[in-house]
Parts: sequence; structure tokens; C-alpha cells
Amino acid sequence: MRSFGEWESPVFGQLLISGLATGSLYALTAVAVVVVFRNTRTINLAQGDFSMIGAFVALVLIKSFAFNYYFALAGSVVFCIGLGILAERVVMRQIADSDWLTLFTATLGMYYILHGVAGHFWGRDTKAFPLTFDPTPINVFGGIISQGHVVNMAWAAAIGLVLFIFFKYTKQGIAMRAVTDDPETAALMGIPVRFIVLLTWGMAGFLAAFAGVLIAPIIYVSPEMMDEVLIKGYVAAVFGGLYSIPGAIIGALLIGICENLAGGYLGSHFKTVTAFAMIVLLLAFRPHGLFGIQKRREV
Amino acid sequence: MADINAAFKAKMVQRKWAAMGVLFLAAVIFPMAPGVESWMASEATLIIMYIMAAQGVSILTGYTGLVTVGHGGFLAVGAYASALSTKYLGTDLITGMFVGAAMSAFVGWALGLVFLRLSGAFMAIGTLGFAFFVGTVVNNVPIFEGREGISLPKNHVIGFEIGDIGFYYTALAALGVTTLFVSLLVRSGVGRAFMALRDSEKAAEASGVNRVFYRTLAFSLSAAVTGVAGVLFAHYVNYVSSEVFADIWYSVDFLVATVVGGSAVLLGPFVGGLFVAFLPTFIELFVDQPGDLAFIIKGGALIFVLIVAPAGVVVGLVQLFRWLRGKLGGDTQ
Repeated sequence: MRSFGEWESPVFGQLLISGLATGSLYALTAVAVVVVFRNTRTINLAQGDFSMIGAFVALVLIKSFAFNYYFALAGSVVFCIGLGILAERVVMRQIADSDWLTLFTATLGMYYILHGVAGHFWGRDTKAFPLTFDPTPINVFGGIISQGHVVNMAWAAAIGLVLFIFFKYTKQGIAMRAVTDDPETAALMGIPVRFIVLLTWGMAGFLAAFAGVLIAPIIYVSPEMMDEVLIKGYVAAVFGGLYSIPGAIIGALLIGICENLAGGYLGSHFKTVTAFAMIVLLLAFRPHGLFGIQKRREV
Repeated sequence: MADINAAFKAKMVQRKWAAMGVLFLAAVIFPMAPGVESWMASEATLIIMYIMAAQGVSILTGYTGLVTVGHGGFLAVGAYASALSTKYLGTDLITGMFVGAAMSAFVGWALGLVFLRLSGAFMAIGTLGFAFFVGTVVNNVPIFEGREGISLPKNHVIGFEIGDIGFYYTALAALGVTTLFVSLLVRSGVGRAFMALRDSEKAAEASGVNRVFYRTLAFSLSAAVTGVAGVLFAHYVNYVSSEVFADIWYSVDFLVATVVGGSAVLLGPFVGGLFVAFLPTFIELFVDQPGDLAFIIKGGALIFVLIVAPAGVVVGLVQLFRWLRGKLGGDTQ
């Protein structure tokens, strides 16, 4: 991973800040995983690939159609929402009542398909994503961070705020929470559950687009670009018990920070393992994640 | 008067054993048949190894209900255990298989203990973490020689050197043993305990099934079977390196094989293993440069199977068979 402003030897504050920056991007994926899981019991393995396609779409819009960055981002968001909805209608709806392993494996199928499609249209090589922000680093609390990182964190925070407002104050958001808690009762109360599910997958696409486009300048664009991010997003989601959005965000930030620290002090090949070491440790003590709930089930 | 269902089931069981018998016979004759080239025997060996690995997964996921996306880790444990044993102790292939099985069983048991309280998606993530962990160990601990890998001498069995065909028959024999093992396990009290835990943990415990004992046992046995497959993987190419064994995609492939074939069915791993191992070669038969198309077909086929036969291909075929029988006015007995 090429990171701005990390050219000198590891300094704690430095690693912390850039960890927060990458963590906030993992958070976008993690939140999407949580939202899809708690509304549909589906672990969406294709979430990363939605982002990857979003990054490619933005790249194409910028390179071949001379869109400016913000229009490309918008175009990507629209495309990815469409992709999410397509995934729900064509694939997930057909197996909606299956057990979670079937749902999980179906998203794996989508993962393979998206990989193939991306490779076919755009090739397997890695491509650079044009830098929109001045790479000269600025000083923040004693750590050096690039403007790109700051902007990413700002976007992530803004989206977090939007989600918060959505779930707390809008009709659709409240309806979605109802479906999360108890789909049967929600349906009885007149909530269109199928529409909410559609909305859920659309939201996954929305988040995916941002995750992909924002991280694209940092990791080169390629069909495999989001593989590691997806895994970290998944791990972060498990931190939140696969149920809590704040939990997932905290998990993602923690992973970003810890892996950066591990990478800086132990060596870069320890980065991915850090996320797993954290989660295995956590699961050994809290089998349902930090904020997970243990649903009562009848025997 | 015999229950209709029981009679039908008995007949299906007979058919199942007949099918297996025919399969094994065909497999034995296969390399000697006319028109079969040596690369085909190699391919068949690969399929056998995948089937065995999938059998391991099925013990834990299909019969005990614990989803694992990390069995590649046990593959590696088995492979490296045998590799080190062969390199430093000069053991033969059969001993290697025992060593690999034992080592995997132990690691599996330990893992079962660590993951005692996990289930569902959390278990999946935990096992994935295990696979990554094994990958990191293999990459960084000197004795495993990371990416450079360990080269192994030619395979020998009890003093006789065996080539590709010999290896094929050894693998086939091992598959016979593991298949027998799984079928006996499923029928036994242990197997019933596993399935009780799968169907309802609380009810099982209330009925006296010791959760700790049976869970760790399930992990252990499941790991052992996949560990033997790992030994075969290692000796198939006479080489182990972290580039191969730290690859988490094996774990995913084995799970897919189990799900596609049918996770709690004896023939399931056979169909699933064939699907996963043979698909790339199959595509190459029709398309010159598969590359990305292979991915698309793999994903598409996977989704298709899940929609059409969510309980696995084997169960789907049985249901299809029954339906056809009904349509043609035949006797479902």
C-alpha cells in the first residue's frame, strides 16, 4: 500500500493518524457488511467488489469521459447503487429463505463474477488513480498527514452523520431498524419488507462506491484491490457483533491503527495478520463481538 | 407393515453403495483404460485430493454445523508435518500420512478449544483467521522455509519408489479409507452427537451430549482428514512452499465443494470436489484462454447450483429422481 506522508521512520503519532485515516475507509465497508447482515442475514462477500467496480467506473469516467472528480464520484455512486439493487433482484431474492451458509456462498459467487467481469473489461493489471488532492503533507497534532487522508476522513465522517440521521429520523431508516429487530412483526405492521431489503442492498452499493473511490488513489486500481479491505471490513464488522454500526466503526478504526503500528514496528508483512490476531483474541473472550447481541432462540 | 419411507430410504441406501462401488471400480480401472493419458491420471489425483479435503470440511460443517472457511490451514499443517518428516526422518508416504493426520488432529483439537464458544458467522471469521495465522507462521518461521519451500525426494511407499500412477493408487486407497471412516462416523454414536449439536446445541446438551468433548472431537477428526489431503498435496508435487499453502483460497474452495455437493451427504464431497477441482480444466476444454471467463463461469455455476439445489447437488438429484419417478407414474418404492 502506497501511503502519503509515510516516508520517514515510524513515529507513533504519525502511525496513529494515518491508521485513523485508513481505518475510516475500512469503516465504510464494515458498516455496509453490518447493515446487509442484520437486515438479511447475509454476509456479503461481494461488498469489496462492489467498491472495486465503483473505483473502475470512476476511473473510466475520469480517463475516458473527462469527468471531473466529483462528477465521477457521483456517477460511481449511482452505478454502485444500481449494482447493489441488481444483486438483490437477480441473485439474492431467489434464495431469500435459505440458511446463511447458502446466502454467504451466493455472495461468493457474485464475488467471482465481478472479479471476472472487471478483469475482462479492464484487465488484471494495476492502474493508478489520478490524485485529486495536493500530496504535500500537512501537520496535524505532530503527525504528518496528506490532504487526501484528511478529505477521506471528512467524507467518512459526513457519511457516518448521514447514516445516523437516516436511521434515527427518517421514516425509511426507522422502518429498516424495525425490519432488523423483527421482520415478521414489521411486515405485520405494514412495513414493505421487500422494499426495505432492496433499500438495504442499495445502501450497500452507496457505501461501496465511496469506499472504492476514496481508497483508489491509495491502493492502485485492480480487480484484486479490495480483497484485503473486504477482509478487514468483515473483521471490523465482527467487532461490532455484526450488529452494531458504531461497533463496526470503532473496530475499523482500531484495525487501521493497530495494523499501522504493527506494520511500523514489526514489519509490513504483519499487517493483515494483526487484524486477525485482534479478532481471534476478541472472539475468544467475547464470542459475539464487542457489541453483539445474543438472540434468544427457542430450543 | 414396513413404513413406505423406510423402504424407499433403504433402496436409496442400496443404490448409494452401489454407486460408490461402481465409482471405485471405475477409478481403479481408469489409468489402465485405453485412451487415457498420464495427464488425466494427474488430474484425477487432484480431484481425489479435493474430495478428501471436502470430506474433512463436511465432518465439521455438514455434520456438526460449524462453518469453516479455514481448512486450508489444516491442509498446510498436514502437508508440512509430512514434508518435514520426510525430509528429516526419511519417512515414506504412508507414514507421512499418519504423521500429517496426527499433527492436524492435534491442531484441530486445540483450535476447537479456542473457538469453543463460537458459532455461525463468528466461527467462519475465526477459522479464516486461523488460515491466515497458519499462512503467516509458514511464511516467517525458518524451519518451514517460507517462499523458497522444501523440496521433497521422490515418493516411496514401504521402500518402493512410486511414480505418478503409483501415487494415484495410493491416493485412491487413502480416499477409500477416509470415505469408510466418514460413513462409519456418521452412523455411530459420535456422529449422532455431532448432528445433535448441529441441529440444536441446547437441546443436545440437555440430552446429555458433552459439548466440549464432541466439539473438539469434531474439529480434531475434521482436521485429520483434511490433513491427510494436505499430505497428498505436498507429495503430489514433491514440494511445499508458503506460496501454495498460505493461500487462503483453498479454504474457500473446500467450503464451496462441500456446499455445492451437499454438506451432510456421503457423496456430497465427491460431487463438490469434482466441481471445484475439475471446473478450470473443464472450461479450458472449450475456451482457449479462459482467464476471466473462468471466474465468471465459476461464480455463475455456483449461484445456479444454490438457486436450483440449495441443499447440494446430490440431494437435488435425488429429489429430481423422485419427481421424475412420480411423473412417469412409477412406484416411489
